[in-house]
Amino acid sequence: MTQTPKGRVEIDDLVIRFKGRQGSVTVLERTRHVLEPGTFTALIGPSGCGKSTLMNAIAGFVEPAEGAVRLDGRLIDGPSPEVGVIFQQYALFPWFTARDNVRYGLKQFGLPRREEIDRARAALAEVGLEAHSDKYPQQLSGGMKQRVAIARTFAVEPKVLLMDEPFGALDAQTRLVMHDLLLGIWRKHKTTVLFVTHDVDEALLLADHVQVMSQAPGRLVRHYPLTQPRPRALGRSGPEFLQMREDILGLLHPDTIHTDTSI
Amino acid sequence: MAVTDRDPAPVATERRGTARLGQVLSAGLPLVSFAFILGLWSLVGLSGAVPEAIFPAPWSVWSATVEMWGNGTLQTDLAKSLGRAGVGFSIGTSLGVLLGLLTGRVALVRTLLNPFLNILRPIPAIALVPVAIVWFGIGEGSKYFVVSYTVFLTVWFNTHHGMQYVPETYLRASRSLGASRLREFLTVVIPAAAPHIFAGIRLGVALAFLSLVAAELSGASSGIGFRLQEARQYVRTDRMFSLLIILGVLGALADMVVHRIGRKLVHWEQGS
Repeated sequence: MTQTPKGRVEIDDLVIRFKGRQGSVTVLERTRHVLEPGTFTALIGPSGCGKSTLMNAIAGFVEPAEGAVRLDGRLIDGPSPEVGVIFQQYALFPWFTARDNVRYGLKQFGLPRREEIDRARAALAEVGLEAHSDKYPQQLSGGMKQRVAIARTFAVEPKVLLMDEPFGALDAQTRLVMHDLLLGIWRKHKTTVLFVTHDVDEALLLADHVQVMSQAPGRLVRHYPLTQPRPRALGRSGPEFLQMREDILGLLHPDTIHTDTSI
Repeated sequence: MAVTDRDPAPVATERRGTARLGQVLSAGLPLVSFAFILGLWSLVGLSGAVPEAIFPAPWSVWSATVEMWGNGTLQTDLAKSLGRAGVGFSIGTSLGVLLGLLTGRVALVRTLLNPFLNILRPIPAIALVPVAIVWFGIGEGSKYFVVSYTVFLTVWFNTHHGMQYVPETYLRASRSLGASRLREFLTVVIPAAAPHIFAGIRLGVALAFLSLVAAELSGASSGIGFRLQEARQYVRTDRMFSLLIILGVLGALADMVVHRIGRKLVHWEQGS
């Protein structure tokens, strides 16, 4: 069987406006872009520029004012399990154990109970949390919570994974561990990833493509393709890598001069 | 497994240590304050500064309690009152939660019912008693009605508002995980609103006692409220004090039970 590539996201002349008290405000200016199947794109921009809004449109959480988002040719008109979402604040259900959080997404498949539990266990094992399946989210650290959320989302095998500053609330050490974990799972599942962040280094360490957004109202202003082999490190991945970092920082903060290149 | 996450366990142990000290204090201090109040009350009784008929001494209240227990009225009154409070509370809570879930979730039901319920809500229980007697007589019916009506409105109000506080990210997560609306309602929306629902039920317990006594004070032939009214006719302040204290203790116990059950069921809410 020839596998047709799945998880192609077409953003087609998308415009998003929010209704405020003084009429409607454009949050996302006309945007046209394609996320190729299996690619890892980092979306970076100043805060409030509309990067989360773009992500929410792909997730089907907000309705476009104009244009459309399509997944493998089909219109996205609401949330669906084909588009998985990882939230910064984890969004785990505190009344469920880690295992039952994962099982929540699996219920839709109507599996026999035994198989459902086995799949939940496998998903938690993939993020190294098998031993914590019976714990409730509030008994887990931030990094562990986010790993349960990742397991929960990957368990339903979405074609696209959207991550909204998923590691923003974690400390630097935990964040590096999470990067390795995410890249490992991504390589295995070949999901199309859109990763929203405001951290340039995080974008450069993870992505195939870095898309930079302008100040609000947001639009994609610059694209940086990355071919450096992973795992990457700022110090090891070559001078053009550091140059890219400088450029992006310059785009994000046009008024300040960067002399400090350390993290 | 490359785990470098910090383990949250040490924090928990520390908290347990201070919790133990807190438990000792919270068990011991109320006893001290009860003893102090009782001592002060006894002193007033001993001094004879206030006539017994106005403010009876603790021992008079105690012997009035023994007297009522001895002739059996206290037992029957307690059984009657608790039965009425229990039935009214159960009806009111069930209807309140059910309707709150509906008005909180279904726009049509909300639009139809909320204005009406918001007008009913400020009407105090005591104002309903005359109507209840006309409708249901002075038997059990009017008591069930007054109690369940009062409990219903409070529980409905809290449930309805609890439903508005279900975090948007829970719903978003649920939908992008492919859950049906029914499963989302049963296993995400209701648990998320549960802390508010229980707060309403707890208020309902207090209001059940309040409205019960209101209903029994006029138009009843048994129950704690009736006995209070009867004691007034005979100027038996000692009996009144006894009955009031019993009401207070019962109310506090009922509240404690509901609070405990709530904490068990809503185990994920901390610091409540």
